Amino acid sequence: MNKKFVGLAALATASALVLAGCSGGTGTPNPTNSGDDGVDGAGKTITLWLAGGDTPDTLRDYLKTEFNKKTGATLKIEQQDWGDLVTKLTTALPDANNTPDVTEIGNTQSPTFTNVGAFLDISDMYQELGGSDLLQSFVDVGKVGDKLYTVPYYFGSRYVFYRKDIWQKAGITTVPTTLDEFNSDVATIAAKNPKISGFYLGGQDWRDGISWIFANGGEIAKVDSSGHWTATLDDPNTQKGLEQLQAIYKNASRAPNDAKDSNQYIYLNDSDTIAGTDGKADTKVTLSAATIMAPSWAHWSIGDLSEKDGKPVRTWNDDTFGVFALPGNDGKPAQVFAGGSNIGISATTKNPELAKELLKIIFSPEYQQMLGKNGLGPANTKYVSSLGDDEFAKALIASASNSKLTPAAPGWAAIEGANIMEEFFSKIAGSTDLMALAKEYNAKITPMLNQK
Amino acid sequence: MTSSEASRSSALLTGTGLRRERAVDDTLAPRRRTRRRIAPYVLLIPAVGILVIALGYPLIWQLITSMQKFGLAQQFGKPADFVWFANYIALATDPYMWTVIGRSLAFCFVAAGCTMVVGTLFGVLMSTVNRGVRIVLQISMLLVWAMPVVAAMTIWTWLFDWHRGMVNWLLTGMGLDFHDHSWLQNPISFFAVGALVVIWMSTPFVAFCVYAGLVQVPGEVLEAAEMDGAGARQRFWGIIVPMIRPILAIVLLLQVIWDLRVFTQIKLLQDAGSIASETNVLGTYIYQLGTGSSDFGTASAVSIFVLLLTIMLSAFYVRSLVREDDEP
Repeated sequence: MNKKFVGLAALATASALVLAGCSGGTGTPNPTNSGDDGVDGAGKTITLWLAGGDTPDTLRDYLKTEFNKKTGATLKIEQQDWGDLVTKLTTALPDANNTPDVTEIGNTQSPTFTNVGAFLDISDMYQELGGSDLLQSFVDVGKVGDKLYTVPYYFGSRYVFYRKDIWQKAGITTVPTTLDEFNSDVATIAAKNPKISGFYLGGQDWRDGISWIFANGGEIAKVDSSGHWTATLDDPNTQKGLEQLQAIYKNASRAPNDAKDSNQYIYLNDSDTIAGTDGKADTKVTLSAATIMAPSWAHWSIGDLSEKDGKPVRTWNDDTFGVFALPGNDGKPAQVFAGGSNIGISATTKNPELAKELLKIIFSPEYQQMLGKNGLGPANTKYVSSLGDDEFAKALIASASNSKLTPAAPGWAAIEGANIMEEFFSKIAGSTDLMALAKEYNAKITPMLNQK
Repeated sequence: MTSSEASRSSALLTGTGLRRERAVDDTLAPRRRTRRRIAPYVLLIPAVGILVIALGYPLIWQLITSMQKFGLAQQFGKPADFVWFANYIALATDPYMWTVIGRSLAFCFVAAGCTMVVGTLFGVLMSTVNRGVRIVLQISMLLVWAMPVVAAMTIWTWLFDWHRGMVNWLLTGMGLDFHDHSWLQNPISFFAVGALVVIWMSTPFVAFCVYAGLVQVPGEVLEAAEMDGAGARQRFWGIIVPMIRPILAIVLLLQVIWDLRVFTQIKLLQDAGSIASETNVLGTYIYQLGTGSSDFGTASAVSIFVLLLTIMLSAFYVRSLVREDDEP
């Protein structure tokens, strides 16, 4: 009797230890403490979350000094990775002790959070921040019904980067002016250069590939008057775009089928300045593409390699590289996926007044112009001229003028989180029946769009 | 694990320590016996208490959430509907869930099996080489074991990069055409790479445990067997393996459980390439449902299922432990 009892107790402890030992590392994710709330005695601190490295340091320093001058409080800026942003916002925004007071959020992620009440209602600030001068498509994704929760922060766009030397060698001397011309040009280049892609388009790169769907008048989804969303991948215009994409995947792109939208610029560059593009057939260089499509800020990473202060730096070389906005078939630039972010105040913030002051500084003419000078399209379209007039600014303004967003549906972030669009695009190249593929994915996407 | 710790733990596992205590117990006066019986339980209370609180809270939360419809809106304050077992039924009838389970089990058994074989071989190697070589082996294994997973995964994804990876470069240099070969695109190839990484990371633990056990095996028994004419193989399978069986059993169990719940390595490989839905295992599927789609109800249901699977697997081991304990 005693033997069994002690035995069982040891048994219970042993199994508890075994199971505890098994929980190595995984457990409920704790929200990382966003702010130390380190009150240095001289006033309050508010926290701003910025996503990725898009906002340069000069702008961040400007915000900190201006904010301190105006309010006497301290501004703490924390950078979050784009990949972790949604997860961190999901755990931090509802928690008043850990929430960022103001946060940047991707324009496609905004509808998901505004629809569940994560942000503060700032409809009363609309006129003060810029009113109808603000980029309207971004304002729309920040609204729920009549109330405004997030406002545009900056916009970017995607345009085409190409290697002038390879294009000329393939016999194409002028930049294409219609989408059909572009499609055939890149196929020609790929045929003449068996080791590289005429146009490098990753199999799962839907953010660039979607331009072909938009440019032909197609849509991912439509909303009806009752607010119900339906996926429209089987729409005849969308189908036309899918056919063009299939041709590109088969004839122009040699990118892997599972490559996503990331760092395409490395394939346009040479790995060193010595190895030429017309090198011997065995020379393995990083060059793998004659053309890529990438967000506007990729131009900082394209060019000739050199060293500055010990760090490798790329300097744009106008003889080798060029840009143009993807042309549509109607004389206007093609409708591309509008990159960019919105910004909003957390609903659980403890310092709403200070947060509003910060927003006013962000939408001040000085800051908007600083955004433009650094290649980020300002939210207030009055200041778009501050982008300058070099070839990058022209391409950015042209492509952004006709850009589009993904559906402002409450469930869109879930679709992005489950990589549904990536999967759909990866199947286009090998599909024998695009209509059936489209219907299959319509059935997956429609219920997710409306899920709250 | 030092050899004294190993011997203590193996003594606990085989229950010989307890048996010795009880033998002494019977010769003492009854009063001493009662006082002695309470002490062990009192000592257990802090450990069990911490475990109950640390493990109990997330467990109860997951149990409750798995029976609710819990999405992003609920995270932000909207009350959740109780749907009892609807989440479980939806999962059980979803063919994709069974694909993921099958994939996870297959991966776990292959990876755990290979890890055991490679780890045991290394353990045997460590016990036979001289001191200098052994220390070099132990230090390199320790470095592998101690390396942070994400840092290691960054290097692994670079090694297997389709365009500039070192593996492709080496293989092409050896004459095989692996130029621009994508390792992660095909799911089988993807899991081969994943298994390689997991086996690489798990082998040191097995090797150290087996080595500690091998050191316990009394040399006289092996010498006697050798004199009786037993070959190396017979000595290994007939004497050594039965003696270190408790260690092999618990290490195998841990490997199976860890490989069933693998997450970080697979997730980082998925980010580097591959079609996510074709390479999901249970760990990444839970992450995709939970933090990816904010469908916390279903994610919790899958987590509870993984917990039950884990308990079932460890039940075998715990039952064999009780049986050993009852043996005279």
